[in-house]
Amino acid sequence: MRLSTEFIAGVIAGGILGWMFDHYLGTKPWGMIVLLMLGFATGIYNVMRVSGSLPRAPTKNRDP
Amino acid sequence: MAVKMDPIHQFELKPLVSFGHIGNQEIAFTQSALYMFSAVGIIALITIVATANRSVVPGRMQSMAEIFYDFIGSTLRQSAGHGSERFMPLIFSLFMFVLVLNMLGMIPYAFAVTSHIIVTFALALLVIGTVIVYGFMAHGTGFLKVFVPSGVPGWLMPMIVAIEIVSFISRPISLAVRLFANVLAGHIALKIFAGFVPALLAAGAWGIISPLPLALSIAVTALEFLVAGLQAYVFATLASIYLSDALHPGH
Repeated sequence: MRLSTEFIAGVIAGGILGWMFDHYLGTKPWGMIVLLMLGFATGIYNVMRVSGSLPRAPTKNRDP
Repeated sequence: MAVKMDPIHQFELKPLVSFGHIGNQEIAFTQSALYMFSAVGIIALITIVATANRSVVPGRMQSMAEIFYDFIGSTLRQSAGHGSERFMPLIFSLFMFVLVLNMLGMIPYAFAVTSHIIVTFALALLVIGTVIVYGFMAHGTGFLKVFVPSGVPGWLMPMIVAIEIVSFISRPISLAVRLFANVLAGHIALKIFAGFVPALLAAGAWGIISPLPLALSIAVTALEFLVAGLQAYVFATLASIYLSDALHPGH
């Protein structure tokens, strides 16, 4: 459930951004195409980050 | 058959007091708002009234309030780190609000407020709005470092920054959808499994296996109590993880 919502949220965010780009800049359909693919990539990135398969960056600012 | 089998019917908003119309949209005090007000009342009862006499050896209600407070305090400190104490009122209110609403929704015939995505999305926007406003207030343009993770090779940077920006926008969506979907799916599953019992009993000889969905709906009820508590905790944890970005941008 956790992983699937992360993925879906990425795709939805990309879709909304793409739709807004097209709507306000009149770039139909290119904003939707590019940002939906970017949203797909974001979804996979989110899932990788949540499931911990990305190497964790050193958290130097974070005090215990 | 007199039993209502529609599993979506329970999520219908019922206006209690109508204030008139704006355009075609009715502005009303719904039962959803009533539940939210009673949740605030219950939280106030637990936290203000129970701790009013401030005894050193806490009574039953006071120790419950203290357990909740300590629990959220340690969660926030673990996930947001140094300087996160200033967000304690926000995270504690969010956790208690979501927890009490989820638990109220588990009472039979009660209405589950968190099964409406607009409620959870408003809460998520509150969190993200706090992150953005506080991030820019505390760090100025340095807050934009949150989009630039460290240790990424230069040629990959434009791609990663674009993905991080979309990822940031997807956060309130995932926060809202997770809570709403869990509560909604749980209540629908509960209603459907419970609805099998009278349906089987009405079907003559098939009534013999009606204890099966009954046992299943009891199990799902227990699971839903777990989900109600867990999702409130997950909401508070994720909110404090996002707030840690505002406190310490540039990972």
